[in-house]
Amino acid sequence: MTKVNSLTVKRRRTMIQSARQVGMRWAFSFGAALMLLGAGSAQAVPAYARQTGQNCVACHVSFPELTPYGRWFKLSGYTIGQRQTLPVAMMAQLGRSQIKNNDDGTGSNTLVTARDQMAALNGASLFLAGKVNDNIGGFVQWTYSQNYNTDGTSSGHSGIDNTDLRIVGRMTSEDANEVKLLYGLTVHNNPTVQDVWNSTPAFGFPFTASPTAVLPTAGTVIEGGLAQQGAGVGIYGFYDKTWYAELSNYRTADGAFSVLRAGQDINTPGGVARLNGNNPYIRLAYNREWGANSLMLGAFGMRVDRYVDNTDTSSGTDRFTDQGVDAQYQYIGNPHTFTTQLRYIHETQDYRSSFAQGATSNASDSLNSLQFKATYYYEHQYGITLSHFSTSGSADPLLYPAAAVTGSALGRPDSSGNILELDYLPMQNMRLMLQYTAYDKFNGGSGVGYDGTTLRRPSDNNTLFLNLWVSF
Amino acid sequence: MSQNFMGSGSGRALASVLLLSCLAAWAQDKPADQAAADQAAQKVAASICSSCHGPTGASVSPLFPRLAGQQEQYLVAQLKAFKGKTRSEKDAHDYMWGMATLLEDSVIEGLARYYAAQKPAPGIPGDPALMARGKLLFEKGDPERQVTACSACHGEAAEGNSIFPRLAGQHAPYVVRQLDVIQRKFRESPIMHGVIRELNPAEMKAVAEYVQSR
Repeated sequence: MTKVNSLTVKRRRTMIQSARQVGMRWAFSFGAALMLLGAGSAQAVPAYARQTGQNCVACHVSFPELTPYGRWFKLSGYTIGQRQTLPVAMMAQLGRSQIKNNDDGTGSNTLVTARDQMAALNGASLFLAGKVNDNIGGFVQWTYSQNYNTDGTSSGHSGIDNTDLRIVGRMTSEDANEVKLLYGLTVHNNPTVQDVWNSTPAFGFPFTASPTAVLPTAGTVIEGGLAQQGAGVGIYGFYDKTWYAELSNYRTADGAFSVLRAGQDINTPGGVARLNGNNPYIRLAYNREWGANSLMLGAFGMRVDRYVDNTDTSSGTDRFTDQGVDAQYQYIGNPHTFTTQLRYIHETQDYRSSFAQGATSNASDSLNSLQFKATYYYEHQYGITLSHFSTSGSADPLLYPAAAVTGSALGRPDSSGNILELDYLPMQNMRLMLQYTAYDKFNGGSGVGYDGTTLRRPSDNNTLFLNLWVSF
Repeated sequence: MSQNFMGSGSGRALASVLLLSCLAAWAQDKPADQAAADQAAQKVAASICSSCHGPTGASVSPLFPRLAGQQEQYLVAQLKAFKGKTRSEKDAHDYMWGMATLLEDSVIEGLARYYAAQKPAPGIPGDPALMARGKLLFEKGDPERQVTACSACHGEAAEGNSIFPRLAGQHAPYVVRQLDVIQRKFRESPIMHGVIRELNPAEMKAVAEYVQSR
């Protein structure tokens, strides 16, 4: 059986969160999905579509990537349209993954994942989503997920997923012909889940990933490291559809805010992160729309003081400082749509407590993360996406130790690779996708034995993922 | 024989006064109602419609038609067609059905007045050769193929008239898409079905390029 250390577990969860962030975590059988296929789009529209009466394409290039109108809808606190009596929606995914080499190389015929080449049910989400009145709206996502263990067993779990609640206000121009300033307050539980551009982590690419794939160990805190783990309160303003500014603060979701991490594991070391005090996040973006084009250039930053042991506040904290720049360009036409996003994050890791406790090799490390993706859609139905990702940073053998499959021979976090994804949307609320992830570097190594224990190569972790994703 | 109240001179005078008073009150109420509808319409236009159609209806995206300066009667007819789901091409279904359903008829009329009163956005010049070809079709049509000149209904300057929409300054890709869905009868338009039956895609593009430049 593959050994999985707690950091790996954490990282796996972190990476998988990009899937959870969009509500994926699945749960319906193929039979149910096929029934949905026959159900027709009239019965299969999510809560916001029912609220606005509009189809998915009004807000999404393909879900969850937002169009300019989708961004406006979100910043307006999800309040456009008519309040629904039953503002609920559901989402489910069912997939099948195939890893290039499923033998972990330890010589004991142990599989990397026992769920390889089999249908995997990863969870299902229930959304409570919509407007309360013209100034208040939001969504709460509750997800049931299935966790697959390397020994072939699995266990179900349910808990809160992405959540974003808003109160908004509008200032119109002197002639009352347009909203000059759209501003609001947001309460949420995942840094950047409140952002409206898909270059930030929460709703960034990949929008969903294989639930059983082997993922690189290292990732910055802002890239899912606090998803569904903290309580965020922020204020924002969008002026003249040009300038966006936001200031948010994150704290441990305790007391009245504990609902924002309901169902998450707070009692096990390595579980939900515990934060110390206030953890600020700032975001600035320049936005421009012309013709069928839109462009965003932005920057964001966050500082996090996280307890070494989430179950013990006497364990001391480490400080993570993330600084990011991002950009997005979209051409949304008919029948051609092209979009691209770029994100770069530099993280400074101040292990002020972990180092003293002998858990890291250095008092401070750094980590850099690069994400790029480009997508083309024909008639909002047939899509192809190419993505490149790269992580690099300081060597730290204690932080990145050797271990079969998930370890590092060099004690380094460096990983890189590419993703090719093909999408087909037979209906706007249904996506059939084929995603291939290929690694050229994994946990610091680019050749044989990158994990420091076996003869495994980075490409052995290449994963083919076939996925059906529906919302209704 | 007793005298009929209405038959008496004083009675007629009184009735006339009452009637005039009612008419005066009605005449005062109507502008008040209209003013309220116009105010509601402007709020809807600024906070919702402008998300796609731009402030004052001067949209930048060719996905969404420019509404500034559009004909009032045409706008009322289209919004009511969206609301009644009788205009049912894909874009109408995807974007406008839901939005129009939320509008009361008085607000629809207010929106139509609002957009009709806005200053049209300037035309966008395109390819000169294409515009020249489009100009010919727009002004002369092609009588041999029973293609009527567009200007006959849409006006010499493509400014529109009543239920015939303003085309001047409209996004060319939008015009092409409408000609296409009308020709294929995804969008009902009895007059246009006959007029553009013989129009080919290149001609649609040419005439759209021309009207966009106006």
